[in-house]
Amino acid sequence: MFTTQMTQLFAVALRRDCERVTEVLLRAGVMQFVRVSDLAEGPAGLATVRPEGELTEITDLRQRIEGVLRTGSITPRPPDEKDLSVRTVVDMDKERKALDRIAGECESLRERQRGISQEILRLEDISRQIDLYGLSMSEAAASPRHSFISMQIGRIPLSRARDFEGNLKPLPSLAVPMGQEQEMAHYLLIYMKRDREQLEKILARAGWMDVELPAELRSVKKDAARELTARLDKLRTEQKKLETTVAETIRKEAERLSSVWTTLRVNELLHQIQAHFKSSARTVLFTGWLPSEKRESLTREIRKACGGRCYVEWRDLDSRDGIQEDVPVEFRNPRMLAPFEMLVSNFGIPRYGTIDPTPFVMPLYLAMFGLMFADVGQGIVLAVLGMLGTYLLKGRKTHEGLYRLCWLIVWCGLSAVLFGALFGAYFGMRLFEPLWFDFHGIVAGHGSHSRTISDLFDILAITIYFGITVIALGLAFNWINMIRAGLWIDLLFDKGGVLGAWIYAGGIYIAFFMVSHDYKALPAGNTLFMLVGLPAVLLFLKEPWHYFTHGEAHGGKKPNLGLAFMSFLMQWIVELLEIFSGYLSNTLSFMRVAGLGIAHVCLMISFFTLAGMTSGAMSVLILVIGNVLVIGLEGLLAGIQALRLSYYEFFTKFFHGTGKLYSPISLRSEN
Amino acid sequence: MAGPLAKYAFINAKLRARISNILPDETFGQLEKAVSIDAALTLLRDTAFAALETVYSATGDLRQAELELLKKEIDLYKDIRQHVHPDSLELIEALLYQFETDNLKNAIRIFFDRQVRKRPADAGEHYIIYERIVHDIPFDIIVNARSFDEVAAACEGTPYRGLIRKFAPTVEADTSLFRMEVALDHLYYERLLAAIAKLDRKDREIAMRLAGVEIDLQNINWILRLKAFYDMPLEAVLATIVPGGLNLNKAVIHELYQAQNVTSVLHDVVTTQYPGLSAMLSARASDLASRLLLIRRILDEILKQEIRRILSGYPFTIGTVLAYFALKRNELKRIRTILNAKQYGIEPERIESMF
Repeated sequence: MFTTQMTQLFAVALRRDCERVTEVLLRAGVMQFVRVSDLAEGPAGLATVRPEGELTEITDLRQRIEGVLRTGSITPRPPDEKDLSVRTVVDMDKERKALDRIAGECESLRERQRGISQEILRLEDISRQIDLYGLSMSEAAASPRHSFISMQIGRIPLSRARDFEGNLKPLPSLAVPMGQEQEMAHYLLIYMKRDREQLEKILARAGWMDVELPAELRSVKKDAARELTARLDKLRTEQKKLETTVAETIRKEAERLSSVWTTLRVNELLHQIQAHFKSSARTVLFTGWLPSEKRESLTREIRKACGGRCYVEWRDLDSRDGIQEDVPVEFRNPRMLAPFEMLVSNFGIPRYGTIDPTPFVMPLYLAMFGLMFADVGQGIVLAVLGMLGTYLLKGRKTHEGLYRLCWLIVWCGLSAVLFGALFGAYFGMRLFEPLWFDFHGIVAGHGSHSRTISDLFDILAITIYFGITVIALGLAFNWINMIRAGLWIDLLFDKGGVLGAWIYAGGIYIAFFMVSHDYKALPAGNTLFMLVGLPAVLLFLKEPWHYFTHGEAHGGKKPNLGLAFMSFLMQWIVELLEIFSGYLSNTLSFMRVAGLGIAHVCLMISFFTLAGMTSGAMSVLILVIGNVLVIGLEGLLAGIQALRLSYYEFFTKFFHGTGKLYSPISLRSEN
Repeated sequence: MAGPLAKYAFINAKLRARISNILPDETFGQLEKAVSIDAALTLLRDTAFAALETVYSATGDLRQAELELLKKEIDLYKDIRQHVHPDSLELIEALLYQFETDNLKNAIRIFFDRQVRKRPADAGEHYIIYERIVHDIPFDIIVNARSFDEVAAACEGTPYRGLIRKFAPTVEADTSLFRMEVALDHLYYERLLAAIAKLDRKDREIAMRLAGVEIDLQNINWILRLKAFYDMPLEAVLATIVPGGLNLNKAVIHELYQAQNVTSVLHDVVTTQYPGLSAMLSARASDLASRLLLIRRILDEILKQEIRRILSGYPFTIGTVLAYFALKRNELKRIRTILNAKQYGIEPERIESMF
């Protein structure tokens, strides 16, 4: 119910045992370290254990390796205890050089890829033009107005063929070899008209001579198009091969790089731990927080690592130490509560020593959801979808949040099934008798077959009772937190304190009294005064109490009592208004649960009415679409509204969310 | 006439949800620290920019990946255009003009380099968007044109035709496209301001304010380029200034050129409207270039504050749409800058100053 009890460890060990102790601390992975230099009464004049530059160097190299591995779609394995025990020395310079080599290889592959890519783009340019306007043998021919390509046939000396082809590469062009004859190479040349000037220079250098297109070569257009496609295919295959080669280059080195990464990660973690230490000439000092139950085992390990040559001191925090801002907070809930823990941590982390609301959020959230979305069939669909999500996302670290959300959907589905059975709703139909009352029947005006719940007002009343229970629970938690923190005055005067709750309870009594007397009578004057008058009057003392107990805040000046009285009066009135309007709106806010439940039923009734107007397949289709819409929209709405009620009507009564999450340095640490 | 709620309730909810998907500063920090362009792209694997890695690893060509990014940006505007109220359509259309204008400038540059400057082809034609943006412009005709007449003819039926005809003799004589490009930019902003003027009062005020800051930024960027590459005289600089800026009108820019102290120029604006930025005024800037860079940084901050103001204010205005575009533009600009910096091996510490 409360956050895990934490203990602060202070230890002094000999410098020569420093490495062994650090290893023990990393292996245990339970300490959230505090920098000795950050301690308010910390010792002065101590040095760091290692220069900060070393850690930066290790981190940089590790990140570089990680970057390379990720490029090859390889995620390095986090270190385990074996990696900690068997550590090899990493030759940083050698590894840097190896990485430079890999980077160089990859870069040259990328360079080749770029070259091929440019070639592909140029040929695609030609290809696009051919697709658009076809091929023409000369400008004089009946070429389409916007054809940008030109084609000519000619021959060059065979000895210049290679240079000729190379020189053409920067231009969008296609030189199709058409055979050789007496040391001369024949080409069909296709190029963009815009490049004529550049091309003419290349042709002149190659000793190009135009040749008449013989009649038997009229099919050359087809050949050119085929050649173009073939070249493009070849280039694309080559491009794909290069892409694979980049990945292969990395994969070839992956095993070794992963192993170096793991060693570096272990060293980095050890350095991170030691960055919190301070040392004298012969000793090291360190401190941090850990769950109290781990205290004995860690002490034993530290002493063992030092051979007993160390001093260990503990500071246990119990309830008398009150609520602390700077103590890390560990959630300790069963795994089944993980989705609800996510809802809580999304709002904030509870302060150390206060109540962790997770176990209470589960039944409250699910009850609210179930009341708003009560249907066995739709609940089963929701649960199945949630299960499917968990199956698909299981083990994917980057989708941890989504995975938990899927579990939340499973829980919501089960809640909908339970409430659906209670209200007798099965895909909007009444297949079985309701276990509690017929929600659909009441909304549709058919009655409920229940003696206790017979109309919409009874349904609204259920949610009001539910709201009062939730708010009362929040107030109770607030009191417990304040008592544990020893905030006695706040316990009395706080809006969620005794006086606030007294007024709220009085208000509830008066409201029920009026309802039971058909809104025609109020409780007797004395009773009214005792219920709300007295606590309201007592609340007036709050501001004077603060004013006079914090007298030094006035800077020793004589206070102006007249002005102060006016200020007390104003603040009292404002506070009373806040309490009355706040509690009233908080309670009535829960009526939305009934409202959405009614809307859910109304939507289903509407779809059944629509389906009734048709028949056969159309009728079934309407019902299917209706159910899908209701599951999608109403499910989302119910989830959001239940969350809103939890956050704003429940959490705000006691939950500050200003705590710090416990994140020890361990072999599984991610940062 | 539709009320603000009817006009903006849906698009406001949609865009606010999308704003939450904009990459956080933490991701940009990681991208800056990435050891190579490949490593940076792997960090984008699980984001909306995953396609960049796919394109780059298939081609090794960052410009192709950037083209992909640009197409995504244009699609974004087109997508929003489908969801806005008809009253705001003209504004979104006007905003789309900027992409068409830039694409047209790129196409004309390719033609101009080859035909007028007689420079060899640099493969720029492969990074032109040939698909329709606002008008059906046959960009391949422009790229392959032999004269400005052909370019202008390709722009038949668009507002660009007249401008191209008007400035063709000048740019051919100058062998510089500068004046034509400035005129095209002016045209874009004229259309934008005209579209804003047609909005209702509240929307108009918000849009004018945001557009004003962007015009200021555009003007400062122009001035920086003119100073760095052309060292133009003040009169020529003033002629390039886009009217409609929020804080930098011609008089202020005139003063800026003369003043030794940047604080004197922006002092009143910053201290009265953006007191949180006062500290930036105390930064020392010895020469004109660093003074202008400082002003650009201040204007960037002003833009961010304007966006924050819009997003924390009354939600049912055109402001949310414009703020979203501005945020997305900034996101894409940062990604583009980082990837280019990685390509050229620029140190992570220097990247921040390149935004």
